[in-house]
Amino acid sequence: MTDTVRDQQSSCVSIYVYEVPVRIWHWTNALAITVLAVTGYFIGSPPPSMGTGEAYDQFIFGYIRFTHFAAGYILAVAWIGRIYWAFVGNHHARELFYLPVWDRRWWQDLFTVVRWYLFLERQPKAFVGHNPLARLAMFFFFTLGVTFMIFTGFALYSEGAGQGSWQDALFGWVIPLFGQSQDVHTLHHLGMWWIIIFVIIHVYVAIREDIMSRTTIVSTMISGERTFKDGNPD
Amino acid sequence: MQTETFYDVMRRQGITRRSFMKFCSLTAAALGLGPAFVPKIAHAMQTKPRTPVIWVHGLECTCCSESFIRSAHPLAKDVVLSMISLDYDDTLMAAAGHQAEAAFEDTIEKYKGNYILAVEGNPPLNEDGMFCIVGGKPFVDQLRRAAEHAKAIISWGACASYGCVQAARPNPTRATPVHKVITDKPIIKVPGCPPIAEVMTGVITYMLTFDRLPELDRQGRPKMFYSQRIHDKCYRRPHFDAGQFVESWDDENARKGYCLYKMGCKGPTTYNACSTIRWNDGVSFPIQSGHGCIGCSEDGFWDNGSFYDRLTNIKQFGIEANADEVGLAAAGVVGAGVAVHAAVSALKRAQMKRQGAVPEKISEEA
Amino acid sequence: MVVQTPNGFTLDNSGRRVVVDPVTRIEGHMRCEVNLDENNVIRNAVSTGTMWRGLEVILKGRDPRDAWAFTERICGVCTGTHALTSVRAVEDALGITIPENANSIRNLMQLALEIHDHVVHFYHLHALDWVNPINALKADPKATSELQQAVSPSHPLSSPGYFRDVQNRLKKFVESGQLGLFKNGYWTNPAYKLPPEADLMAVTHYLEALDLQKEIVKIHTIFGGKNPHPNWLVGGVPCPINVDGTGAVGAINMERLNLVKSIIDMTMEFNRNVYIPDVKAIGSFYKSWLYGGGLSSRACLAYGDIPERANDFSAENLHLPRGAIINGKLDEVHDVDLRDPEQVREYVDHSWYEYDQPGVSLHPWEGETRPRYELGPNAKGTKTNIIELDEGGKYSWIKAPRWKGHAMEVGPLARYIVGYAKGHERIREQVDGFLSDLDLPFEAIFSTLGRTAARALESLYCCELQLHFYDKLVTNIRNGDTTTANVEKWDPSTWPKEAKGVGQTEAPRGALGHWIVIKDGKIENYQCVVPTTWNGSPRDPAGNIGAFEASLMNTPVERAEEPVEILRTIHSFDPCLACSTH
Ligand code: HEM
Ligand code: HEM
Ligand code: NFV
Ligand code: SF4
Ligand code: SF4
Ligand code: F3S
Ligand SMILES: [Mg+2]
Repeated sequence: MTDTVRDQQSSCVSIYVYEVPVRIWHWTNALAITVLAVTGYFIGSPPPSMGTGEAYDQFIFGYIRFTHFAAGYILAVAWIGRIYWAFVGNHHARELFYLPVWDRRWWQDLFTVVRWYLFLERQPKAFVGHNPLARLAMFFFFTLGVTFMIFTGFALYSEGAGQGSWQDALFGWVIPLFGQSQDVHTLHHLGMWWIIIFVIIHVYVAIREDIMSRTTIVSTMISGERTFKDGNPD
Repeated sequence: MQTETFYDVMRRQGITRRSFMKFCSLTAAALGLGPAFVPKIAHAMQTKPRTPVIWVHGLECTCCSESFIRSAHPLAKDVVLSMISLDYDDTLMAAAGHQAEAAFEDTIEKYKGNYILAVEGNPPLNEDGMFCIVGGKPFVDQLRRAAEHAKAIISWGACASYGCVQAARPNPTRATPVHKVITDKPIIKVPGCPPIAEVMTGVITYMLTFDRLPELDRQGRPKMFYSQRIHDKCYRRPHFDAGQFVESWDDENARKGYCLYKMGCKGPTTYNACSTIRWNDGVSFPIQSGHGCIGCSEDGFWDNGSFYDRLTNIKQFGIEANADEVGLAAAGVVGAGVAVHAAVSALKRAQMKRQGAVPEKISEEA
Repeated sequence: MVVQTPNGFTLDNSGRRVVVDPVTRIEGHMRCEVNLDENNVIRNAVSTGTMWRGLEVILKGRDPRDAWAFTERICGVCTGTHALTSVRAVEDALGITIPENANSIRNLMQLALEIHDHVVHFYHLHALDWVNPINALKADPKATSELQQAVSPSHPLSSPGYFRDVQNRLKKFVESGQLGLFKNGYWTNPAYKLPPEADLMAVTHYLEALDLQKEIVKIHTIFGGKNPHPNWLVGGVPCPINVDGTGAVGAINMERLNLVKSIIDMTMEFNRNVYIPDVKAIGSFYKSWLYGGGLSSRACLAYGDIPERANDFSAENLHLPRGAIINGKLDEVHDVDLRDPEQVREYVDHSWYEYDQPGVSLHPWEGETRPRYELGPNAKGTKTNIIELDEGGKYSWIKAPRWKGHAMEVGPLARYIVGYAKGHERIREQVDGFLSDLDLPFEAIFSTLGRTAARALESLYCCELQLHFYDKLVTNIRNGDTTTANVEKWDPSTWPKEAKGVGQTEAPRGALGHWIVIKDGKIENYQCVVPTTWNGSPRDPAGNIGAFEASLMNTPVERAEEPVEILRTIHSFDPCLACSTH
């Protein structure tokens, strides 16, 4: 699929970048990760003991963990859907999964963007899809990060599901790979911070770009349209 | 050579057929097998000569042997007198010096391919192996010699299985687990520091009874005893799910037997049978006696941070901080960076606006 | 070459050299070499620790609250004693006091270890030096039954049928041709002196003790969750007490206390009816074999243990005695101060370690552990195939600790000699009673037999102390005190920037000390000086020999190629090599 240039009359050009499934995925994913980070944090450091009644009366920690696992499943299923869309969606849908490291132009653009962020460029360059720096960050922080979280998350889940479960068959090998269960917990936990760091930068940049760059950003992820404020999609 | 079977010995001890069968069904139960297996066990015990066992010791603390002799079913004396033939074990054998070495060689020569090698402790490889010397030579030589003709090897405890305390950082002697030295034999890891007595005798009797190796998991541990975590069958688990934790030693919650998660319990990350079989004939296990599991049957548990932290320090990076401390620090740095960047951006923007060079906003066009 | 050691022994290494390696029926790896003169009498003795793991190196930089678990793994036989010493060292450094209940529970655990270790040592590690199981086949079960009833009228397992069953089992075992643990023993050696009936009785008790020992340790399981290697806690004990509240089932409650009591009773019975009578019965056949005294008549050391009140380690408060005897002067017992830089110090000149300078010793707070393996110039063989060691050079993984420069014997015999010398009532009563039953003079205590007897007597005394602390615990709970841990200084932020401490216990094998230096919440230095480090010590630069070596001196050997006498005396110390080198 190619970009559809929707509106040519105004100086303000819009291109349809993010198709509906990508947008639905994006916000589902953002929500799942928020829930996972909050519940995950509590799994590592439980809130103060609550209630003194019989244990069966309450299931607080159980619910925290259940919510984590439910969100984990949503995250994983959505991620599979997103991977599927990389094959059938427009070419922006593929940007998340590889870096065109063989493309000189991409490297040049990358340096231009870096200079822009270092306040060395007066004018930002506009991109239809992700700018190269964003793409780089998304690939390393997000694509690899979320895959790692899913693999380690399901490996940990397989410990409860038990040997012989499908989770164990698919992900059980991850545990000895990293040493033992405690190591995987620690790495999974560190992975959370890895992703949180991505989110901090990502949200900042999204809002900043929205304000400072030549294109719409935040609304793009809502409407799917990339609007070029100066009408020049290049 | 006349060989005596387990059943012969029991009969001659005055044990009746009935109590023999009862013993067999207890064994079946201890192994987690149904009643259908009882005749099979009985048959095996009535016909087999005692399997020779060579039990060698490397760098270790001998607690695995100590644990072994605590076995209640079967009793250690019955194992040693009637089930196996413990032909070499430096901790318990009568002979010493040359006579001990001769017993070792005799057994290997006579039972090539038919004896079980039990290894307690591990060989150090630094200093040409001379951090552990037997008969004037490195222990690793003795280990290799015994392994050469063994039918199978049992790695007792955390030492033989993973290296244990002497292999903890910085592992000054390069203490090395058995499977990294012997690579061409089936090895059954029975981890734990030490393993539970009945798990040890359970593994041996399984091999004698069914004449095969127990089914092993990915890490080479018998599935029958190591396929679940302490946490999966911990009797304090309802308190865990309820969010009821011991908050500090000897507090009200400790007295009520709440979950020890916040005291650093490693039950959620430890594969062993303590919470079911329990220790010393079922009397208790660490958690029941108020202390968290320290993860003693897990690979490298000594270097996984304090026994009292749930979020343990991160050894992989040589960092003296846990995941939250590292993460929060990193997020803090990034957050500060973002804030500075935002401030500079705002300044620049204001500057440019004054110069009239700012790309116009959509609103201005509407 | 003949040399006179400063501590009073004449060494002559000109005779035939006999090597025993591995020394078996001990914990860990040990080698022993002796020179025999033309009459097969030992004139030079060399004892070597042949393993090293580096726990002191491994402990550096770790959390002091975790140290108990590491040091506990120094040994699974005296399991727990290192852990207790460790928590005491940390508490001493940080000024942490423990509740009375924790003191009673720790004592119950330490005493259980003491008893367990002594029983297993006597029956399963030491007995085969005195008892010939093959000879037991010749015994008349009826006569054995009579013997049993004579030596121990209240032991219920004494019928002729009982002994016949055991004998039959033994017979079938031997006839099977698979001799297992008895293979290649010295069963035709005339050094064995028991009549067949005594042999059969002892073999029977070997089996009874094997069954019983697993019960004794259940006290560890109750309070510490498992044995070997129960759990401990800086500031108290991890097991809470809850005798009548909600959830008591997860704590020390009435059922648990009853179990403790029943174990104490059972253990006491066994010690009274089996262990002590056996040692007396066997001893009576070996009364004339009074070799092996070694250092015991000259230099004994005990740190003392089992505090009556919590947090008080003054000698008066300790049930097991503290003191040092040197130069054979029993009428002058010196006090022992583990902080004094002049008292406990370690040399490494003949050990496989190095200090910056040769010939110096270090107090454990300044102690160093740097391995350096090398054979002396006169050793025979190669680096990885030792034929004969050279005791003139480095020859052991054990360091050489000295008390004010003296090589010392530690252990049950040393404790009993110190206690006797200090006038400890119960100890005097026990020792006098034992000697008069065997019709032996006091000097007979300075022997291999004396060492074995002191261990048995101490085992019974420990049972009595267990009963005392059980009562104390129950009384304290009845009075409303159920506290088991002090958590005021649990958090490292409450600790001083730097601190030093020392922990002490009387381990089954003798005086045990751990010295710790804490800096910024982490272990800066950790040094253990362990009972078998004392007893198994190699020579020091002045030429003093250690307790093992001294004990072998001048012992005649029946058959040079069958080292049963060497084993008998070395075993009487209950050597623990994993401990000694750690
Ligand atoms: C947990 C939170 C979030 C995560 C993990 C996340 C992740 C992602 C990922 C992976 C993409 C790339 C989409 C693709 O190429 O298919 C993306 C794009 C985007 N996200 Fe997020 N996002 C999160 C929250 C947000 C929030 C809160 C905003 C708005 C303030 C936002 C705005 C955007 C925008 C505008 C894009 C498109 C960027 C572009 O066009 O280059 N995201 N996000
Ligand atoms: C971005 C995604 C995720 C984040 C931020 C996250 C975060 C966390 C954190 C912080 C912990 C606590 C670890 C510890 O210290 O012990 C945790 C535990 C866990 N997570 Fe995740 N997680 C994510 C994804 C997943 C996924 C996809 C699964 C799969 C179902 C999963 C399953 C688990 C499990 C099973 C545990 C262990 C729970 C326990 O020990 O009780 N997580 N997670
Ligand atoms: N020597 C020694 Fe130990 C003891 N008793 C400890 O301190 O044996 Ni394993
Ligand atoms: S595994 Fe643990 S218990 Fe077994 S010998 Fe090693 S240190 Fe001792
Ligand atoms: S005490 Fe430990 S093993 Fe038991 S439920 Fe709590 S965390 Fe799990
Ligand atoms: S510490 Fe070890 S003994 Fe069991 S409960 Fe944990 S695996
Ligand atoms: Mg030391």
